[in-house]
Amino acid sequence: MEPETVPQRDVLMEVRNITLRFGGVTAIEDISFDILEGEVRAIIGPNGAGKSSMLNVINGFYHPQEGEIWFRGEKRKAMKPHEIARHGIARTFQNIALFRGMTTLDNIMTGRLTKMHRNMFWQAIWRGPAEREEVEHREVVERIIDFLEIQHIRKTPVGRLPYGLQKRVELGRALAAEPKLLLLDEPMAGMNIEEKEDMCRFILDVNDEFGATIALIEHDMGVVMDISDRVVVLDYGRKIGDGTPDVVRNDQTVIDAYLGVAHE
Amino acid sequence: MLYRETGDFKVSYRDDQQTFPIIQDRWLFWGMLAVAFLVIPFIIDDYWEKSIVLPFLVFSLAAIGLNILTGYCGLLSLGTGGFMAVGAYASYKLMTAFPELNIVIVILLSGGVTAAVGMFFGLPSLRIKGFYLAVATLAAQFFLVWLFNKVPWFYNYSATGQITAPERSIFGFAVTGPEATPAATYLFCLAFVTVLALVAKNLIRGRIGRSWMSIRDMDIAAEIIGVPPMRTKLSAFAVSSFYIGIAGALYFTVWFGAAEPTEAFGINQSFLVLFMVIIGGLGSMLGSFLGAAFMVLLPIVLKNIMVGGFDVLPVLAKHVEITLVGSLIIFFLIVEPHGLARLWSIAKEKMRLWPFPH
Amino acid sequence: MSYLIETILSGLLAGVMYSLVALGFVLIFKASQIFNFAQGVLCLFAALTLASLMLGNTPFSELLHTLGLPNDWMPVVPIWIAVPITILVMIGLAFVIERFVLRYLVNQEPIILFMATIGLAYVLEGMGDLMWGSDVKPLSVGLPEGALDWMFDRFDIYVDKLEIAAAVVATVLVIALSLFSQYTRIGRALRAVADDHQAALSVGISLRTIWIIVWSIAGFVALVAGTMWGAKSGVQFSLSLIALKALPVLILGGFTSIPGAILGGLIIGVGEKLAELYAGPYIGGAIENWFAYVLALAFLLVRPQGLFGERIIERV
Repeated sequence: MEPETVPQRDVLMEVRNITLRFGGVTAIEDISFDILEGEVRAIIGPNGAGKSSMLNVINGFYHPQEGEIWFRGEKRKAMKPHEIARHGIARTFQNIALFRGMTTLDNIMTGRLTKMHRNMFWQAIWRGPAEREEVEHREVVERIIDFLEIQHIRKTPVGRLPYGLQKRVELGRALAAEPKLLLLDEPMAGMNIEEKEDMCRFILDVNDEFGATIALIEHDMGVVMDISDRVVVLDYGRKIGDGTPDVVRNDQTVIDAYLGVAHE
Repeated sequence: MLYRETGDFKVSYRDDQQTFPIIQDRWLFWGMLAVAFLVIPFIIDDYWEKSIVLPFLVFSLAAIGLNILTGYCGLLSLGTGGFMAVGAYASYKLMTAFPELNIVIVILLSGGVTAAVGMFFGLPSLRIKGFYLAVATLAAQFFLVWLFNKVPWFYNYSATGQITAPERSIFGFAVTGPEATPAATYLFCLAFVTVLALVAKNLIRGRIGRSWMSIRDMDIAAEIIGVPPMRTKLSAFAVSSFYIGIAGALYFTVWFGAAEPTEAFGINQSFLVLFMVIIGGLGSMLGSFLGAAFMVLLPIVLKNIMVGGFDVLPVLAKHVEITLVGSLIIFFLIVEPHGLARLWSIAKEKMRLWPFPH
Repeated sequence: MSYLIETILSGLLAGVMYSLVALGFVLIFKASQIFNFAQGVLCLFAALTLASLMLGNTPFSELLHTLGLPNDWMPVVPIWIAVPITILVMIGLAFVIERFVLRYLVNQEPIILFMATIGLAYVLEGMGDLMWGSDVKPLSVGLPEGALDWMFDRFDIYVDKLEIAAAVVATVLVIALSLFSQYTRIGRALRAVADDHQAALSVGISLRTIWIIVWSIAGFVALVAGTMWGAKSGVQFSLSLIALKALPVLILGGFTSIPGAILGGLIIGVGEKLAELYAGPYIGGAIENWFAYVLALAFLLVRPQGLFGERIIERV
């Protein structure tokens, strides 16, 4: 994707002057950036820079003391995480947060929960509306299963799956919600090179085929530079760089603080 | 080689998500249902009814109820006895206040009342988790039993403080009171258990069940993917209490016909149902039934062996029984924390491959 | 006025008893993250053993009788031998529990361990009855009893000497425990395990040994608590139910805090007595059965982490 197409896109989310404190510790200090419709936006920075906290703020798990978030042109009110999920933000987690007691299929079906509405009465009867709804959503989920190439583990409890597949199932669960904005917290952490390549392919395909905007945290610089359109760099809770991979790569502050001078 | 899904191809998602996907399981299920409805009513006698069959059916319902809360939604409750008491006293008040009301409706309404009470006591689950919640449910247990002991309105100011179920019948057959025949009470309870078990299964396999399980497995992740924690937890409390309330109502109206709160609905009752759920298998419908059967049969078998076989004093036999039950709980938790239901599914796996070892 | 003071005092002293039970619980929870439901029954079992030894009851007498064996050969054991024997029994019990229960449940989920302790409570209850019979046993360990005269004469306030003794014993016990954990090697190991299991393991502390030690200490604390309760109202099964009151105490104080357990016990003790005094007559009495739980619950809604618990920041 060429960087020059970037300016023509609409802004999907804008983060303005966010400050987040835990007691006396400031995790994020006065950070602003935007995420454009349809782009892959990376958030990078050393450990403890506030990257995961930033994702947690975006999906409403942490409530920042200051600042505002604009999503799809509106200022977001204070909401619970589950309400934010209903507004089209889905995510994966740094340490896999799958539902270990359930099968792959059921895990991905939970991604559809926000879109299923049959009440308890119909659920209890099952035959009829509830069953039709179930089949409808099952079809969507099966398409995702095909896309992620995990048909063979459809009915395996996820607790038994190897790490790489669990990561993939988690991506599937987030995709099932058909999010406007998909947050990926270190999607490739702990993977070997082949698994990373697969995951990169899935992420780019998700971006292309499902049209989801992606914000991701990643430590593997090679991956970040390859797949992202623009990069935000955080360090000690502050923003120290923002721009296309090329710009960031050559930014002296970023090099000093993060990549290290010796790297060059 | 006989028991497997090979050759039984599923051509639609509808077929794939049915309750018993394997054809042999379906036969077994229908066969057992046929025996339960068409054979047992003709051979059941008083002893079997009061000592084995009714206890099994009533406790199966209570175990399904607790399993929904603890096994599927991950909320540990020690208040089962108290909620059974709510069902029992609700049915008593309804029966005496509205003598015309059909007994089926009475029992369903009792479940509804218990569901409301359960939701109320479930409110703390929004702020507190795990063991803290378990202790909080003890508040419900002790408070409810105290309430039914101390407030005379609940037992209609009777001198003994006991409640006694008046006679009610459906289709001309008495199902409560001294005139009720074993076959009638059995079929009455069986009908409730069958319908309610199917309903529970339907709830569990669909949207609601998945919300419960997601909260159980990882509540934070569940909330972030869009499961509202409050609605989900309260719905688990409501459905669970509904089942436990109906179990309490049947316990009082059909099985015993009379009750007194401290003995019948004390904390030991809570533990008994919890043991059923653990031994049967947390998060398994089949487990609820297996656990109930196990805990109902165990004391009877032990007593027959010790008192009948070896002439042991009943008091002593009781002590041995308590020790053994405790040991068995520990044994099960060590050997198979997922209970009898898991053992059954392992056996089925083996059968699928039989006669090959792998 | 003096009646109110009397109520508060007796509440405080009842609270000390709750604290003693809660203390054993906190010890185990800190060292092994096990919610030990059996702590109450452990008190009962300890007191039962002590009382029966001092009465000269033969263990398993009914069982021996059924088998046609002699069942009346146990002498009356004087207290200075009975107490060490009981302590040994409690240590032996800790070994058995580690060897046959805990060892197999390492790395299980907390809820599984919790349920195992419910099973353990049943086993201990059944064993206690099997060994010593289920009749009420008097237990007199030579603690002073009766009204504290000068309080009664001067202020017209009734205070039982036994309860004062209990408070003194509890204080001594808590001081001894904190000295133990501060200044001995084992104490330091215990604190290390409480802080971080993995780290403690990695510096070569044996988890099994720690478990045995901590359950032995909890057994000892249970013996003290059981003796106090038993001296007050006889050793009987209802003791283990009274001990359930330690649970709301724990909620109030937090599962891992010893000062919390003590303060929680006192609050519950006083709150309960005051509630019974002021609200009891209007709503039918005997509210002691549930008041502690409701008090703890109300408190939880305001402060979910308990009096001394740390605020939990959840992370994903």
